[in-house]
Amino acid sequence: MVLNDLGRKINGAIQSMSKANVIDEKVVDDMLKEIVRALMESDINIKLIQNLRNNVKASVNLDENTGAVNKKRNIQKAVMDELTRLVDPGVEAWKPKKGKSNVIMFVGLQGSGKTTTCTKLAAFYQRKNFKTCLVCTDTYTETDPVQLAHEGVSNFRKENFDIIIVDTSGRHKQEQELFDEMQQISLAINPDSTIFVMDGTIGQAADGQARAFKEAANVGSIIVTKMDGHAKGGGAISAVAATRCPIIFIGTGEHMHDLEPFAPGPFISKMMGMGDISGLMET
Amino acid sequence: LLSFFKSMTGQKELTDENLEPVMNKMKEHLVNKNVAANIAQHLCDSIAKGLVGQTLGSFKSIQSHVKQSMELALKRILTPKTSVDLLRDIAQAQAEKRPYTIVFIGVNGVGKSTNLSKTAFWLLQNNLKILIAACDTFRSGAVEQLRVHVRNLKALEQNAVVDLYEKGYGKDSAAIAKEAISSAKITGHDVVLIDTAGRMQDNDPLMRALAKLVTVNNPDKIIFVGEALVGNEAVDQLTKFNAALKDFSGLANPRHIDGMILTKFDTIDDKVGAALSMTYTTGQPILFVGTGQTYTDLKNMKVSHVVASLLKD
Ligand SMILES: Nc1nc2c(ncn2[C@@H]2O[C@H](COP(=O)(O)OP(=O)(O)OP(=O)(O)O)[C@@H](O)[C@H]2O)c(=O)[nH]1
Ligand SMILES: Nc1nc2c(ncn2[C@@H]2O[C@H](COP(=O)(O)OP(=O)(O)OP(=O)(O)O)[C@@H](O)[C@H]2O)c(=O)[nH]1
Ligand SMILES: [Mg+2]
Ligand SMILES: [Mg+2]
Repeated sequence: MVLNDLGRKINGAIQSMSKANVIDEKVVDDMLKEIVRALMESDINIKLIQNLRNNVKASVNLDENTGAVNKKRNIQKAVMDELTRLVDPGVEAWKPKKGKSNVIMFVGLQGSGKTTTCTKLAAFYQRKNFKTCLVCTDTYTETDPVQLAHEGVSNFRKENFDIIIVDTSGRHKQEQELFDEMQQISLAINPDSTIFVMDGTIGQAADGQARAFKEAANVGSIIVTKMDGHAKGGGAISAVAATRCPIIFIGTGEHMHDLEPFAPGPFISKMMGMGDISGLMET
Repeated sequence: LLSFFKSMTGQKELTDENLEPVMNKMKEHLVNKNVAANIAQHLCDSIAKGLVGQTLGSFKSIQSHVKQSMELALKRILTPKTSVDLLRDIAQAQAEKRPYTIVFIGVNGVGKSTNLSKTAFWLLQNNLKILIAACDTFRSGAVEQLRVHVRNLKALEQNAVVDLYEKGYGKDSAAIAKEAISSAKITGHDVVLIDTAGRMQDNDPLMRALAKLVTVNNPDKIIFVGEALVGNEAVDQLTKFNAALKDFSGLANPRHIDGMILTKFDTIDDKVGAALSMTYTTGQPILFVGTGQTYTDLKNMKVSHVVASLLKD
């Protein structure tokens, strides 16, 4: 996956730092410069990048008389902590419970991949032997989506479906009417979980949109789509900090099975090729 | 002595050293506006290079001097270098008694079909007869989506001539486009708008299929549809779409992207950097910006407005 590309660059920056005999301000600044560039090229939110830079700088005490090896270890840890904070909101993702109807509502910007991902997720739960169904509220017609959502969910609840997935139309924070409609749908169906779908190619507009969706629709988790291409996914990653919600899946293609579970911890260690760094740090 | 004199009179010579912090700030500012990081870097580097050695008058801060140079550079990049007058080109084709053909290409979900339909609406208002070729034969609902647009457009305009050429799913899109164009010649449609399936720029088979569609049909305009939401990926998308048109065409004089439509411009506030990334990468003009989900939400881009948004604090 291309997120590895970001990992490789950050790894490279840390390695260059570790090769230095003396750890002074210039060495740290050079490393941070490289890390910052890699993050910028990956669409990570600029304020998060600035915070990361300041935090890493603040956490290393260059005057301290601890020797280069310890300093290197401290710097590496500071970088890792900051990166982990970017991807891991520290909350457990919602999981459906057997023996009841679990209602999942999808929200997101226009064309982000909601409808496609709804069907992928339905297929995912079906494979896990949940009785699964979809409610479409995005029609070409004049039908009221709030009413459609309500009727669909009530009917399927009566029929004892385990997983009821509700698709909604694309919307954006600048259009209040669309946000009002989303809130009404949410009120009408009272979802157990609301999933925010984000396009992996989104840039610096991600933070503002994510905050607005979180506030209006009580987003619980994030799915990042279109990660089969060259996308770095950093805009979507920035939405984690903006919403304090975890990424639970990534979409890796247009087909039904192109959906991969995602967990922050394993992701970070894989991305950073942790084994390599720790090996290097011991010398 | 000279530098002492300069500092006495408040004059200042610009050097790499005193420019660096200002250029770093400028770069982060542009990145925050969603300009691709590499492009922001190139721009800042080239502006700094041009400024080193210049002397500033007493009341001018380095910052405002840099901003002024940046404004000029942005304006230059964003101002179209080729004609953006589609109607004139279409009139030319009419005189040659042949349909004018436009193909809409781009990655998934950016707004190709919607903005094709908005373009159709605009052309209908200019009394042109439109044929839409449904060449996304892959994504579920793609053909039905266009059918609904055609129905809507017919209902909006009394004497509108707008029709759909479709052959369902799973067929070769290059062949359908060809049939549509031949059919337009017979039926007297002025413009053929060719919808294509969204595809990732790294998807080799799909990129080859697109190159084939272009080679077989040699459309008058190849319009790349990109969304204003896209970040650094804008550069890679455009570079690889152009590369595919070139490398997979088998032609001595291959085609390239002729212009862009920048969609979802209503979703980004002042983070308009994608406009810059796209024009910088291709050197081609943004023909329209998409500003919403209805037929009238297709506008000409105001360069001055984009420049102002990019520089705004
Ligand atoms: N390559 C790739 N394409 C995807 C992925 N997920 C969705 N798509 C494509 O993205 C486009 C838009 O997907 P939709 O599911 O229609 O998006 P949506 O959010 O429902 O769109 P609206 O309802 O119009 O807001 C389609 O062409 C999908 O096939 C993915 O993970 N990878
Ligand atoms: N806010 C806003 N939404 C837009 C704009 N243009 C298109 N959209 C929406 O974006 C979504 C995707 O549009 P489509 O036209 O289906 O995109 P596409 O590129 O044809 O998608 P695929 O064929 O699946 O690759 C739809 O919900 C459109 O209404 C725009 O300018 N502004
Ligand atoms: Mg949809
Ligand atoms: Mg389409």
